[in-house]
Amino acid sequence: MKRSTHVAAPLLAAAALSLLTGCRRPQMQRCVDENNNVVDDSFCKDQPSAQPNAQQNSNDPFHHFYRFYYGGWGGYGLGTQVGGGSYVPTPGARYTTRGGFGSSFAEGGSHSSGSGEGGGHGGGAGE
Amino acid sequence: MQRISLTPRQNWQQTVESQGLTFHTLENGTPYWDESAAYQFTAAEIDTLEAAGYQLQEMCLAAAQHIIDEKRYAELDIPQFAVEAIEWAWNNEPPALYGRFDVAWAGAQSGAAPKLLEYNADTPTSLLEAAVIQWNWLKDMPSGLVSSKPDQFNSIHEKLIAKWKDIDPYLSKPIYFAALDNPEDQLTVTYLRDTAQQAGLETLPMFMQEIGWNDDQQSFLDPDEHPMFSIFKLYPWEAMLQEEFGPHALATYQVTRWIEPIWKMLLSNKGVLPVLWQLYPNHELLLESHFDDPGTMRSYVRKPLMSREGANITLVRDNATIVSTPGPYNGKQIYQALAPAAVFDNRHTVLGLWMIDQDCCGMGVRESFSPITDNLSSFVPHFFT
Repeated sequence: MKRSTHVAAPLLAAAALSLLTGCRRPQMQRCVDENNNVVDDSFCKDQPSAQPNAQQNSNDPFHHFYRFYYGGWGGYGLGTQVGGGSYVPTPGARYTTRGGFGSSFAEGGSHSSGSGEGGGHGGGAGE
Repeated sequence: MQRISLTPRQNWQQTVESQGLTFHTLENGTPYWDESAAYQFTAAEIDTLEAAGYQLQEMCLAAAQHIIDEKRYAELDIPQFAVEAIEWAWNNEPPALYGRFDVAWAGAQSGAAPKLLEYNADTPTSLLEAAVIQWNWLKDMPSGLVSSKPDQFNSIHEKLIAKWKDIDPYLSKPIYFAALDNPEDQLTVTYLRDTAQQAGLETLPMFMQEIGWNDDQQSFLDPDEHPMFSIFKLYPWEAMLQEEFGPHALATYQVTRWIEPIWKMLLSNKGVLPVLWQLYPNHELLLESHFDDPGTMRSYVRKPLMSREGANITLVRDNATIVSTPGPYNGKQIYQALAPAAVFDNRHTVLGLWMIDQDCCGMGVRESFSPITDNLSSFVPHFFT
């Protein structure tokens, strides 16, 4: 007998159900410039998160301004663009402010691709 | 080894979803999990595949030792700044969990041995399909439909739980399970988390992008600002090293238990294939492989060292390109002889042999109409009698 005698994966089943019913993990929070390009979080530090004009100097046309961007598409990669989200956090949502790993497989990352081999749909980091 | 046609279970989609496989159907509407067929093996064929897995593992470990001893990192495009961590990990043996050999084989009737295509030693997926979904499929098969007493090469679930118990003393808790935010990767790590929890280990999930770094503490932090010391990541080392936190991962490598360990870079790299051929020339489990050029081979596959998931592969037969796939990978490439055909009902079949640490303990079968296994390839269950 080369087969497991018993296979139960309740956590897996619950996670699948969550995905099917639309339960999602916390959305992303990134600091972006006026063109919605991701910049280092330090540019947005100490700014009220819902202030769209944080650090803006209206007298200086070359002065960049920065604000947090919530949810939507795009990852955490510095210089990459985001969209589809909002400058205002959704009430009750939890946001993350990290991103030192994961950029290679984000849209425009060095590993981003529409094809895959090891698993079902590609686009992931597994193979 | 044969491919048999079957009638899928009623409501098979809901069945596999309830077991954890939400990505059962491809975007073009064809099944990824395809139970309209199954592969039937004999017990002797399974013994052959199991023995091949064990032998390939032994050979790959010898190849890793050789690469380290001879400092052949540059040939594999492994950056010099990662070498110290790789060698430390190799010598100190932090926990390793799993890998998957992809082999080409058309069964005992072919008269040939299984041939190694590559070793997905760092970030293999299709795990829950192999460990859980096909196990349940066989359980559901009416007695006598596929065989009176069918068995399956699949003790992956038990071996995973046993392995977590084995490495428990070497891991601080909780163990973080990090992956990208997509269903396949998330469910794969959730399944691994499930097995760890069933082994009694405390775990927490997170996205790769959520991993934080604190300069003052010189430590990776979870979203609640707690230091992270044990991290399972479904994310390739070669990508981690290129990213912002890569230098931190190397600088703190000795105090952070990353699973898989960084030395797996040596085996998940396609460069291990020509190294194996140099160490074991003409070995029956290997395909002739070379760095730099195809040598005298007229029919071969060209693969970038770091390519993944069927991208940037070129198939050449009689010196003429017959298939070439697009993708983002470039850089050095290796040349591997074309494997003997393993085609059933016009489908190209690849067998994935699962290693849980040093145990070859299961198999998944992928098939496609293209000779290159890619994201349109289906997972088909198997059994043996």
